[in-house]
Amino acid sequence: MIFIILAVLLCASLAVLLIANEKNIRMVSLAMAVVGGGLVFALALPVLFGFTSSWSSQLVLVDRFSSLMASLVAFVYVAATIVSVRYIGHEYKEGILNRDDARLYFSLLHLFALSMLVTVLTNNTLLMWIALEGTTLSSTFLVGLYRKKTSVEAAWKYIIICTTGISLGLIGILLLGYGSRLAGLSGADLFLLTSLQNNAPLIQDGIAKLAFVFLFVGFGAKVGLAPMHTWLPDAHSKAPSPISALFSGILLNVALYAIMRFAFVVNGSLQSDWTSHFFLFFGVASIVLSALMMLVQTNYKRMLAYSSIEHMGLITFALGLSPLGAIASVIHMIGHTFTKSMLFFGAGEILLNWKTTTVEKVRGVFAEDRYTAILFIVGMLAIVAMPPSALFVSEYTMFVAALSKYPVLALIILVSLSVIAYAMLRLIVPMLFFNGKSDETKKHKWNSTHSVMCLQLIILFSFAAWVTTASGLNFIQGIVVDAVYILK
Amino acid sequence: MSLTIATLLQGLFVLLIAPFLTGLVRFCKARFQGRNGASPFLPYFTIATLFRKEMVISNATSWIFRAVPFVVLSSSVILALLLPLVFKGASLASMSDFLVISGTLIVGSIFLVLGGIDPGSAFGGMGSSREMTVASLIEPIIIMVFATLAVVTGSFTVDGMLGQNLILAHPYLIFSIIALCMIALAENARYPVDNPATHLELTMVHEAMILEYSGPYLAMLEYASSIKLTAFALLVANVIFPSSLIAVGGGMTFLAIIFAVLFGMIKVVIFGIVLALIESTIVKMRFYRMQEFFSLAFLSALSGMVLTLFARYGNMSVQYHAFFAALAILFVVLLFGRARLRAILRYYALSSLSIGGIAVALSFVRPDEKVHLWVFAIVTILIKVFVVPFIVIYLQRKQKKIVSLASFLKPASSYFLVVIILAAAFFAVQRISSLEIIGYSSLLYASVALISLGLAMMVVHRNVFSQIVGILVIENGISVFVLVTVESLPLLIEMGVFLITLSSAFIFSKLSNRIRDFYGSTDTEKLRNLIE
Repeated sequence: MIFIILAVLLCASLAVLLIANEKNIRMVSLAMAVVGGGLVFALALPVLFGFTSSWSSQLVLVDRFSSLMASLVAFVYVAATIVSVRYIGHEYKEGILNRDDARLYFSLLHLFALSMLVTVLTNNTLLMWIALEGTTLSSTFLVGLYRKKTSVEAAWKYIIICTTGISLGLIGILLLGYGSRLAGLSGADLFLLTSLQNNAPLIQDGIAKLAFVFLFVGFGAKVGLAPMHTWLPDAHSKAPSPISALFSGILLNVALYAIMRFAFVVNGSLQSDWTSHFFLFFGVASIVLSALMMLVQTNYKRMLAYSSIEHMGLITFALGLSPLGAIASVIHMIGHTFTKSMLFFGAGEILLNWKTTTVEKVRGVFAEDRYTAILFIVGMLAIVAMPPSALFVSEYTMFVAALSKYPVLALIILVSLSVIAYAMLRLIVPMLFFNGKSDETKKHKWNSTHSVMCLQLIILFSFAAWVTTASGLNFIQGIVVDAVYILK
Repeated sequence: MSLTIATLLQGLFVLLIAPFLTGLVRFCKARFQGRNGASPFLPYFTIATLFRKEMVISNATSWIFRAVPFVVLSSSVILALLLPLVFKGASLASMSDFLVISGTLIVGSIFLVLGGIDPGSAFGGMGSSREMTVASLIEPIIIMVFATLAVVTGSFTVDGMLGQNLILAHPYLIFSIIALCMIALAENARYPVDNPATHLELTMVHEAMILEYSGPYLAMLEYASSIKLTAFALLVANVIFPSSLIAVGGGMTFLAIIFAVLFGMIKVVIFGIVLALIESTIVKMRFYRMQEFFSLAFLSALSGMVLTLFARYGNMSVQYHAFFAALAILFVVLLFGRARLRAILRYYALSSLSIGGIAVALSFVRPDEKVHLWVFAIVTILIKVFVVPFIVIYLQRKQKKIVSLASFLKPASSYFLVVIILAAAFFAVQRISSLEIIGYSSLLYASVALISLGLAMMVVHRNVFSQIVGILVIENGISVFVLVTVESLPLLIEMGVFLITLSSAFIFSKLSNRIRDFYGSTDTEKLRNLIE
């Protein structure tokens, strides 16, 4: 099953290179993405909802946590492909991109999704490393797609920082393998997540700690945690919007998934929550940093990127508050994926019409393109965790846990979140509702991007409603048990 | 067969094959340079012709001028008889004390110098003064090299030194052998010290001294220099492959003689080709830069000796993988001070080659993983020594300007930084070792040092290419780390990691090309458009 999925995506990536017509490139990509995404859902959803039990082999690990990640990857991937069909088609018509660019774009898009799927579905830690590095390599030219100075610069920062970080992460993986070799494992078992988890208590504490430092700092660069975040706003703001949505919505989560898997092993080895110090520190640092940076933003895509740093910080911080925090972090992960990718799709729609990412130059979106404006403001309210949003549920849960354990940190975060909410709305509201010099003749119609955004919002709100019921909570709890050691 | 006959046979062999070696080097050089080249047997005819020609001798000369060819030729012949070139343990074996050898060499040089001064011509005097400078620099190095071998083997004769498999047992002797090869080039007036092909250049040494000679005397001097070259060729080959020497024992048969001659010929031919290759790839050094060449040779010989003394009296055993680890670090250190992209990539390739060497050396320590380690070594060498540098260079081919990577540190201070990093890495490793987890401490140190040097490289040199090389060095450090910790990865995964290295090198170079197009330079200081 998994190999069929990988084969479909690989075929999609190669087939695109052979097609001559630009329209066909987009349509074939869309068809292949829908087929591939459907197959992933067919594989992951039964496990996710508990119809079939988790299973693993030498290469593959499908438990509830990884199938959650795989479904999220598949969802954002299909959504991004649908949006890309419109986005790239528009850019092609405008003459900003040529046919080779479009071909490269779709080919790498499938490859990018493929490597993210491998990262979350593999049982082999080294394969996970290769796939994670593959996400960087395949997306470099997606970031640098536009032949502009700034795009190249963003791509360069992205690849340099992420490659260095992930290389350091490899040291951590090797150290864990070495530790389990000392513990008596051998052969392929050294690099199996499942066998590492089962034999975690045998690994020496010193090695496990050292390994985790490398893993956290290395993969943390890819998550975009505070001191290693410098690539993130550049890459998000310069990449085409569907790619920004993929980055922010799911790539960061995939990197965090890798960290969580290894934190599971290290916690098991230490029999304590030593690793939570890392999660707390980097989480708070990311939130505070993005709150400060948010105040000086003049670019709406960069603003969304800093918001991603903030949310990654929130998820990381919540993970430091296991076990209750872990539930919050999983809910937050799901909610953030839908909301942020939807916002980036909306930002892409604005970018296509106004041709600038500077907030000052965009005025009167509501008058000209009312569907985008309405969807965007609803998404905006969801991302600052207004109550019907799933993010409200998760942040509320997180604060419940944080106020009892670390009241000072909780207050700092509360203040930062308020600053962020204020800063974001202050930028967005004038952009959408102030009157600009728009001509009323050029009204925009409902299009496919709006449908995708609308679907995402519906999923978000129904998820928020479901997660407050008992069955929803059970569902989250099931995922958390697979993801975090402490609850077992 | 008596020992005397062996000595005579060896002398005869060397005397006969000597002109061929000179001709072979000229022939191969011509071929490397794209010319047809004269037959390698031409020097026989040259010498024969010269013997039949009339001599012109200046009236200003004294008897010394006439004595010189005889002394020089006989010193070369004595070398051919004394040294263990074809046979080991022949009748003059006990005479081949290394001080005697170097004395014989210096006698030849001194008379050559006198012959150059005697006619009073300007050229001869200039050549002589240079020859004395070179000879005085050669002498200590040659004594130090052989003294090192004497310490290792406990024998003062060259013959006794070649009795054992030196190199395989003592990796640090590679330094001494490098010094010996450099000396062999200098002593025989080859590139980069002297140009053997011309009389016209103002920098020549050997040819200037024999400028006044003609006819049979010139033939004798040229023959003498051929013999000396052949003797050194066989000596160097024998030091590297001592087992190719045929020992003159009790049951010496006709077959053994055949083999000895055959081996001798093979060694001479290989040496000739390698020498021609070296002379075609490097250029002659300016005379005033000669001290650099010799100080390098001296340093090499000295480090060989110091390591030998440490190993012998300090009970410090130097293993092969440790030796290669040191080399891998050394090349990265050298890379730090360089500014040209090609030079940097060359040192990177050498460092990767050393890592391949580590894997090969480890395969002898851990025989059960031989296959894995060999595959690792082969693929490492293939990809990191050849393909990756090639990709980086190839993608830059359209850029005409030579890439020069400015660093905000001068070479001296960046070397200072390197020393600090290496020391810090040492203490870091000490801390890790206090957890008592990892054997192969030298390799662990190498990997930590390489990773930190790679990171420093990315910071110190603010340039696109140095960041690429920095990442490549970090990857090298990690692959050493693989060898230390988990010993070997599953084959498929390993290939995947190499594939990642390869494609990242490709993407990096492609992207740097684009940066060059847009920014007109590769300075990362200029990548400052995205600061908000």
